[in-house]
Amino acid sequence: MRKFFPVEELARDQRFEQITMRQAQADPRTVLNAESRNKTNRLTPDRADASDRARGLMHGIFVGEIQALEGAGRTCWDFETGTEAPFALKLDMARQAWDEARHVEISVKLSDWMGTEIGQFAENTVLFEAACSNDPVLRLAGVNRALEGLAIDVFTTMKEFGDLAGDPFLEFCEDWMLADEVTHVKMGSDWLRRITENDAERRKKALEFQQVVDKLFSFGGTRSDSKESPIGLARRFRELAGFTDTEVEDIAEMSLKALEERKAFAAAALAGDTTADPA
Amino acid sequence: MADPFKPRAPFAPWDRRQLPGLFDVEETARRVGHYKWAEMKLFEALGGWVATVPELDVKMRLGTHCYHHAWHAELWHKRLPELREMNPDRLTVPPNDAMVRFVEAMTEPEAPEQTIEKLVGVYRVFIPHFIAAYTFHRNNTSEITDAPTIRSLNFALQDEVADWTDGEMLIQSLLDTPEEVQRAAAHQARLETLMLEAGGIAGPGTIGGME
Repeated sequence: MRKFFPVEELARDQRFEQITMRQAQADPRTVLNAESRNKTNRLTPDRADASDRARGLMHGIFVGEIQALEGAGRTCWDFETGTEAPFALKLDMARQAWDEARHVEISVKLSDWMGTEIGQFAENTVLFEAACSNDPVLRLAGVNRALEGLAIDVFTTMKEFGDLAGDPFLEFCEDWMLADEVTHVKMGSDWLRRITENDAERRKKALEFQQVVDKLFSFGGTRSDSKESPIGLARRFRELAGFTDTEVEDIAEMSLKALEERKAFAAAALAGDTTADPA
Repeated sequence: MADPFKPRAPFAPWDRRQLPGLFDVEETARRVGHYKWAEMKLFEALGGWVATVPELDVKMRLGTHCYHHAWHAELWHKRLPELREMNPDRLTVPPNDAMVRFVEAMTEPEAPEQTIEKLVGVYRVFIPHFIAAYTFHRNNTSEITDAPTIRSLNFALQDEVADWTDGEMLIQSLLDTPEEVQRAAAHQARLETLMLEAGGIAGPGTIGGME
């Protein structure tokens, strides 16, 4: 088995349909019709399309958890213990693999509960791409801090949705997954600090990479403080996971910027401009 | 109530644990170091394979089992300093070159069509050998002086047997044709031959001698 596995070769059964980030972001339905919803895109049960959007989001969680599982597993394999990654870091990644496997189990059962079939929505594989860096510290910054940070926001939104919709089953499961994600983000923050303690340059590179992934995974504004974003920024849980106030503010600002960029990109795509850049 | 000051035997009549054991501190540390090395190789491979298998149920099982073996490696890592090995890395080694070749051969399959080979290597060869090595160790070490190792062996064995069952059931569910049965058997034989040369997880004498 090779070290470093290409995203194009992620193994899936025939039910799965994979798409690129560009294709996902060109879909105008998610950002350009906020007018018709009283200027809000937040995922709430009173939206006319609530059940479809909730199912889509849950399927997104499901495929995201598969990729997170694959990413954590690859970190166990891709790096030599001791010389490239500490033994304890790899143990943490193995633990994370188990957690992500459980999350796949949970989200597949929740999807079934919500009336969704596996493969009913497309899979965007950009999450695994963030887990492909050849530096384990960059992986931790990109996956554990940026992506798992996003997962905190997503699970908080879904938990609230379950509460508002009167679905204790959904709320219960999201709360459990949220607990794991806070642990994963904290794990990433701790390792980033420990490994780069005496390597300021490496830490800078890792934090820059995290910013790139954070912006990418603001999903072009799918997650932000704005009501135009379906997913809010879970400030309290981010604090628990070890994000500083400044870091949370930076993510909030970047997410709003990403929302505006994506609206412009989706509008251009709708007008037939195939050269527009999703930024 | 019985008189609390009446002398009692230090060992209750039902406690039949024995003091003698086959392994001294040094031999125990040697074995534990090999266990740790082997468990590490196993959890790394399981983690790496997750992305390469298309079957969703197998993918999730590999992720779960990956942690079980990482935890066993951690148990052995923590046991080594208690066995006077203050540099655990020194003993975290394969017992011989044949074991290295075994691990290389076991981790060779990568293609999405090779799930059978991946599972056979782990669940029909490697894990049964862990069960053998751990069972022999548990049944032959001093039940009193080496109780901490026995405790870890019992935890690990519980996982190994459960994972073995899981893996064997997955394999049986994937074998649809006589050709696939042959593929599984051929791969098992190839790996078992390498394991024979290695002498087991801890090298020759892993499960004692028959003489």
